[in-house]
Amino acid sequence: MIGLLIAEWRRMVVEAVRYPLDTISAMVTLFMLFVGLFYGARYITQSPVGGGRLDTVVLGYAVWMLMMAATSDMGWQIQNEAQNGTLEQVMLVPWSSRLVFLVRGVMAIAAFLVPCALIIVGLIALTHAHFVWTPVALVPTALVLATAWGLGLLVASLGLLIKRVGQMMQIIQFLLLFLIIAPLATLAGTVWHMVAMVVPLTAQVTLLRDLLNGAPVSHWVWVEALVNFGVTMALGLWLFGGADRLARRRGILGHY
Amino acid sequence: MRMEATSHAPAGLLEVAGLSKVFKTRTGPVPAVQAVSFRVAPGEVLAFLGPNGAGKTTTIKMTAGLVLPDSGDVRVGGESLFARHDAVTAQLGAVLEGSRNLYWRLTVRENLEYWGTMRRMTIRGARRRADELLELVGLSDRARNTVQTLSRGMQQKVALCQALMHQPRVLLLDEPTLGLDFESGEGIKRVVRALAERGTAVLLTTHQLDVAQELSDRVAMIRQGRLVLEGATADVLARFSQPMLTVVAQMPWPADIGERMRGLPALVTGADTLTVDVVGDAGRAVYQVLERLYPHPLAKIERHQADLAQVFQQVMGEGGAESPDLAFAGAAGAEEANGQ
Repeated sequence: MIGLLIAEWRRMVVEAVRYPLDTISAMVTLFMLFVGLFYGARYITQSPVGGGRLDTVVLGYAVWMLMMAATSDMGWQIQNEAQNGTLEQVMLVPWSSRLVFLVRGVMAIAAFLVPCALIIVGLIALTHAHFVWTPVALVPTALVLATAWGLGLLVASLGLLIKRVGQMMQIIQFLLLFLIIAPLATLAGTVWHMVAMVVPLTAQVTLLRDLLNGAPVSHWVWVEALVNFGVTMALGLWLFGGADRLARRRGILGHY
Repeated sequence: MRMEATSHAPAGLLEVAGLSKVFKTRTGPVPAVQAVSFRVAPGEVLAFLGPNGAGKTTTIKMTAGLVLPDSGDVRVGGESLFARHDAVTAQLGAVLEGSRNLYWRLTVRENLEYWGTMRRMTIRGARRRADELLELVGLSDRARNTVQTLSRGMQQKVALCQALMHQPRVLLLDEPTLGLDFESGEGIKRVVRALAERGTAVLLTTHQLDVAQELSDRVAMIRQGRLVLEGATADVLARFSQPMLTVVAQMPWPADIGERMRGLPALVTGADTLTVDVVGDAGRAVYQVLERLYPHPLAKIERHQADLAQVFQQVMGEGGAESPDLAFAGAAGAEEANGQ
């Protein structure tokens, strides 16, 4: 298991360092996207973005970047590996394919932390936003990421079967943005609690936001976040295993 | 005449029994592989041959677990691939045709260390093994080059090395010498021979029949998803060889060669060759032929020896499966493997 972690970590770091333009262009794109949204919204509304809560806007964007990376990385990897002709070799290693791609997802985020931190510093410099990172946010951040990895497995399941997941990623970007913004977990009533448990990430993002803002956090939000993580991850693992078997049964593992 | 070779199949390290696969397509079900069985013993190279679309790659991918069969089993050292996937996969290495098998952006050494650690080796062990293998294929000086900068032949050698990192007991090679120049092809063949000598069971598919003949101890031929021939390569070649001698002259035959051979079972087959039928009593004919050729200078006299290309052509082109002998050969091999 440690060998698997080390192998994937080394591969990612080597590729990131050897081809820095890939990383830099991704960082510039993410930064410019925020700039476009930030100034665009300010120009259109002629008022401060976030109603004076810039820290929330920057934080939301940072979370969205991490969620995007965690959700999409496994799908992209499967598409690229199939295209480059290495997917079948990956499926030949004596580890469960679920574990291999989950480890890859975790390592991708680990490798993304430094570029992500640099983007956030850039955003803070641009917006003059202030937010203080507290250790208490660690658990909800981990929950956000772990749930995003579960979602990533769902995307990767489709990747195993259809390979070309690029178009789907475009839709997922906006879906994730909606999940961050939608205040489902803050709505009262049993029905909304149930919805927040099923709809991925909304409870985890609310939890993170409230903890960082120092707002009181209801026990329900914790329960919703944990259940939601469990459901999403279990579903992701189950579907990925099923897609793996189906792809092998159809003989399309190496197809692109 | 029966293919006796099939009844002497050795105990297999790799045992493939009754593999069948039907692909569902838009135009209906396509039977790709039907009840294919064979074995490969330790230190043995089995050449698995067939025309395009015969089911070779599907069989090799089922053997690797990359395609799930509808029925049948694959066993390595007695353990079923489908029951103990991770344990059996750890004993398999594969170089797949049509795949790069490697990360082009990583160096040769990084690739080998990556695939080694992914196959449960320690980093130190993977580093040591990578050095050994690069030495074996003569690429030690290329260890720091990224794979994308290597020639096709070198890439194929590195792909072979990655499949050998964890010292698999069974090696699956799908067209390992395809598109390689002579020197690279020879290099791959040398490695395959060395592996077989050390006890690795090798399943080899190739369209290069000379390569198959040179490397294989046993040969199996598949046509339209069915095994139509299986046996020891030497026995198969002997079975398809004709009872004839070929006489080769040092210079073109004299103009009256046809007249000289009149009444003898000899046929002029080239400007400087003729074949003599030596079946039964007619074996004496060769001495009569030689007498009539005297004093024309001769280069050599040799028995006719079929090569795999001729066998392949005969089996695939002339309804080999319909031939009772060959059909029996395939069925016998399958039954025997199934019986294990």
